[in-house]
Amino acid sequence: MSLVKSSGIISRSISVLVTLFGISIFIFIVLRVIPGDTITGSLGIETGVLTPEQIDDLKRYYGIDKPLILQYFSWITSFLSGDLGFAYSTGVSVLKLTASALPVTIELALFGTISGVFMGIAVGMFSAKKPGSVRDFSGQLFGLLALAVPGFVLSTTIVTVMANRFGYFPNGYEYMTPWEDLGMNLQQMLFPGIVLGIAVAAPVMRTTRSALLETVDKDFIRTAHGKGLKAKTVRYRHILRNSLIPIVTMTGIQFGYLLGGAVIVEKIFALPGMGRQILDAINRREYATVQSSIMIFAILFVTINLVTDLVYRRVDPRIK
Amino acid sequence: MKSSSTSEKSWVHYYFKSTSGIVGAFLVLIMMTISLCAAFGWMPHDPLIQNPMDSLHKPSSVYWFGTDQFGRDIFSRAMDGMRRSMTVSIVSVSIAGIAGVSLGIIGGFFGSWLDSLVVRLSDVIFAFPAILLALAIVNSLGNSWIDTAIAIAIVYTPIFIRVARGPVLIIKELDYVKSVRVLGFSSVRILRSHVLPNVLAPILVQIALSMSWAILTESGLSFLGLGTQPPDSSLGLMVSEAQPMAAFAWWTLAAPSLFITLVVVGLNLVGDGLRDSLDPSRRQS
Amino acid sequence: MVDKKKFVIGGLVFALMAGAFVSTPAKAASTDLVIGSVLDIDKLDPHTSTNFATVRALGLVYSSLVEVGPGNKIKAGLASSWVFNSTGTQLTLLLREGVKFHDGSTFDAIDAKASLERILDTKTSAAGRANLLTITSIATAGRKLILNLSVSNVPILAALDGVNMAMLSSDDISAAKIGGSNKPNGTGAYKFISWEATQSVKLSAFSDYWMGAPKISSITIRVIPNESSILSAVNAGTIQFGIITDPLIAKQVNTRTLKLFKTPALAYYALQLNTKVAPFNDKNVRLAIQCAIDRSELIKTSLLGEGAITGPITSPAYKSNALARPCPEADITKAKEYLAAAGKSTGVSFKALVTTTGWATSVAMAQNLKAQLARAGITMELDIVDQATYVPRWLAADFTATLANNGGRIDPDTMYTRYFTSTGNLNKVATYSSATLDANFLKGKSSGKTAVRSAAYTAISKELEDNAIWVWLATPYEYRVVSKNLKGFVALATGSLLPLRSASLN
Repeated sequence: MSLVKSSGIISRSISVLVTLFGISIFIFIVLRVIPGDTITGSLGIETGVLTPEQIDDLKRYYGIDKPLILQYFSWITSFLSGDLGFAYSTGVSVLKLTASALPVTIELALFGTISGVFMGIAVGMFSAKKPGSVRDFSGQLFGLLALAVPGFVLSTTIVTVMANRFGYFPNGYEYMTPWEDLGMNLQQMLFPGIVLGIAVAAPVMRTTRSALLETVDKDFIRTAHGKGLKAKTVRYRHILRNSLIPIVTMTGIQFGYLLGGAVIVEKIFALPGMGRQILDAINRREYATVQSSIMIFAILFVTINLVTDLVYRRVDPRIK
Repeated sequence: MKSSSTSEKSWVHYYFKSTSGIVGAFLVLIMMTISLCAAFGWMPHDPLIQNPMDSLHKPSSVYWFGTDQFGRDIFSRAMDGMRRSMTVSIVSVSIAGIAGVSLGIIGGFFGSWLDSLVVRLSDVIFAFPAILLALAIVNSLGNSWIDTAIAIAIVYTPIFIRVARGPVLIIKELDYVKSVRVLGFSSVRILRSHVLPNVLAPILVQIALSMSWAILTESGLSFLGLGTQPPDSSLGLMVSEAQPMAAFAWWTLAAPSLFITLVVVGLNLVGDGLRDSLDPSRRQS
Repeated sequence: MVDKKKFVIGGLVFALMAGAFVSTPAKAASTDLVIGSVLDIDKLDPHTSTNFATVRALGLVYSSLVEVGPGNKIKAGLASSWVFNSTGTQLTLLLREGVKFHDGSTFDAIDAKASLERILDTKTSAAGRANLLTITSIATAGRKLILNLSVSNVPILAALDGVNMAMLSSDDISAAKIGGSNKPNGTGAYKFISWEATQSVKLSAFSDYWMGAPKISSITIRVIPNESSILSAVNAGTIQFGIITDPLIAKQVNTRTLKLFKTPALAYYALQLNTKVAPFNDKNVRLAIQCAIDRSELIKTSLLGEGAITGPITSPAYKSNALARPCPEADITKAKEYLAAAGKSTGVSFKALVTTTGWATSVAMAQNLKAQLARAGITMELDIVDQATYVPRWLAADFTATLANNGGRIDPDTMYTRYFTSTGNLNKVATYSSATLDANFLKGKSSGKTAVRSAAYTAISKELEDNAIWVWLATPYEYRVVSKNLKGFVALATGSLLPLRSASLN
């Protein structure tokens, strides 16, 4: 059995590598197809004052004078050896930029996922207790409305109300990492985390609710009842554990999705995360930064998928 | 096991037994009607004509939801915006649905290298941060609503691949499907009569959900400066244009927000209703 | 299990609250100023900086030979006085004594010469090089810096102002320690401490500054990528100075609790027309556009009234008369007459290139222009692209018309020679030049007399407007939202932060 398992992991790893390879090509092509290049991206209209020789010099400096295939290989080989390139404007290596931006995005995604899952499960349980009741209805209504509000509206409303009415805007201060100033960091992550969490909470709530309602009927629940266990214990211990499967799967997907979807929240709450880094780099056509950052993202995402899959297999013994 | 010649009560019957389904259908119907009215030009005012004299007027009997900074009627623009958001949503989900489901079924059914290719493709797109993918695509293709729809379609295709492929993998292992294949029935016929009907349920649900997501994604893109371009309006664009003015002109935000809420809620309820009616174990008699 | 969960949630919330009370930062020492800006700086080399944010920040770190102050007069900077020779072909600047660089070394004529030569060196790709092309040689004599010019060029004095003309240390230049990741070493009021990309730039007061140590002991320029959030941050007191460009946000400033500085910008909005392609190769069509546009309506709707109608030249000393044009106010009848004269009475249509991310009101303005032109039977199709796509097309003049937000300058020479002289390096984008324009620009460049220069620039303005080469629309305002504790700050037309060196915080 362990042989089967290990060959499964090997084949999965290979498929992961193929996927990542495909992504690297995809991002490279998409970036080169967009009009504009690093020169116009960084100099803007002042590019017009450059002589053709100066433009050639700059092209050589940015490494965009070589044929595309060579550029791709030069990038991908450097990447694989740990050199992610560097941002031409700042002279800072992409590795360093990513090392400071990635934890921010991950922390934000974690906040979002955890707060979303908490809110979702709580409201889901609240609703499922008495299906069809007013409680249920209001719980479901919350779930629906939470889906419908665009993230940027919610974010700017929170910021404006908190700052203007209560004079409270922790994100207006310098961003603090958890080890520099935990209290400030938590404050700065709180509201953006909740905003992202609401988007997560809605589907989690509905999944929780329907999973709870479904499992009530299952055989092993009846058996547990028969054994004389209290209704409450039955509910939480057995039902929730078995409902966890769809929730876990969904959480895995949501977390990965949040990594990319945090761009808007990062902008409004001034969080120096990957979303902003990539967005700014795309606008300045800093190819190295965009390519390497997105590869890091993709690697992370694919790893999370893999882990979610493995957890899924462990949690549900019926699946092999 | 269903085949296309089923004789049990149709799912439509069960759909209308579900409260969510009814409410959802009702809301979506209203929104579709509004969109159609806008498509035919039946709006209180012209959404494009600017009347600077009437700039930023509060809601009144002439302008039901007030005017924006150019003096354009917000209600009419919201109607037109609804039409455009609906169009982008329908087109993008159709493309994603057709492409995704086809790929998912083909990959799932025929297996081997074809399946690997499909899964790989799906993973590549899926692993790409969604907003950034849409951004890159819109940047390279252009800014018209079709390009936005294509961008959203590409981002959503993996979901449809996944939704379609799952059931197909299970179905093709069933004894009677295996036997029918051995007997030499054409793959096309098998796909049509046995696979498709059973895959339909989750796909329909996903369509409803994806349509609601598409509207929200389009609004997120508008906030970042992509998506529908002015002077055309989409609900998302109206909301992002209204947002800096909301502090002193709340009505600019009211109409588009209301419309977005109603259509997103409606589509999700329809998805719920479909889920309830298409899954035999959840039906209410 | 429910109780456990509730307990955990409760615990987290409590921890957050506690954290909130414990770590609300002590109100910053009253001499620290935090500025909020949407844009981050993009480099540390002052000679190649063109990005507004970079120029603003580096302007506090570096000094130039002259400065343009309030009233747009040229003031002494690192040069305490100057004189042209009788033919205007030699400019001698007397350099200030006792100026120190941040690293402690002294500033002298060798540094000045090296700095200017670095700007002239094509390898630097300096943004201000084009303005110094008349310099044939540079000599030093003690504290004097002598610039020999090929022709009489009085505006070169004004051209010596600004970050692109920053005075660097000759040691840094020869060791190639400028830009990249090298720490800026200037003579400005503030020393460069750090740059955390996408987050902040930190500066601290330079006690040996030649004008005296600044009262504000440190300045942090913090990146807050959303103007609405910047305003919120000023409201909440987490920053004391906000840079705003969107009139919609500026309208929300509560002037009872905050101070709002509103200065007419030197930058201007114009609908650039490509006179080399149809339909704009016909002067009558161009004039039709000019007459169909109602600039007041444009300002009222797309800028919410926050702007001023303008002519070509925005330099305060030589400002164009905005009424001196064929149609000072919108005249649809006249527009239609021009169209008929061009043989286009059935109407005309064209595509306009518009940037969506270049500035906050670009799309709003384009929309209103489109609606206005429609009233005269002119169809303007909007081709909306993001800034990075806009730039290469603009540079290649790959447009029939484009809505532009171009930078203005204190001096009309530096403002327009690059566009409207036949040898200007942006003439391709302007698509028009003429012998009369060339002659007038030369006249403006070579004379030191205001009357002569004024006449030349008025003639230039007239030719541009009478031929409707571009349609000049309006100038916006620059906004600074500032805490009431900031005293002694003056807003300059250039948007420079230099006045902070003599400001103070209570």
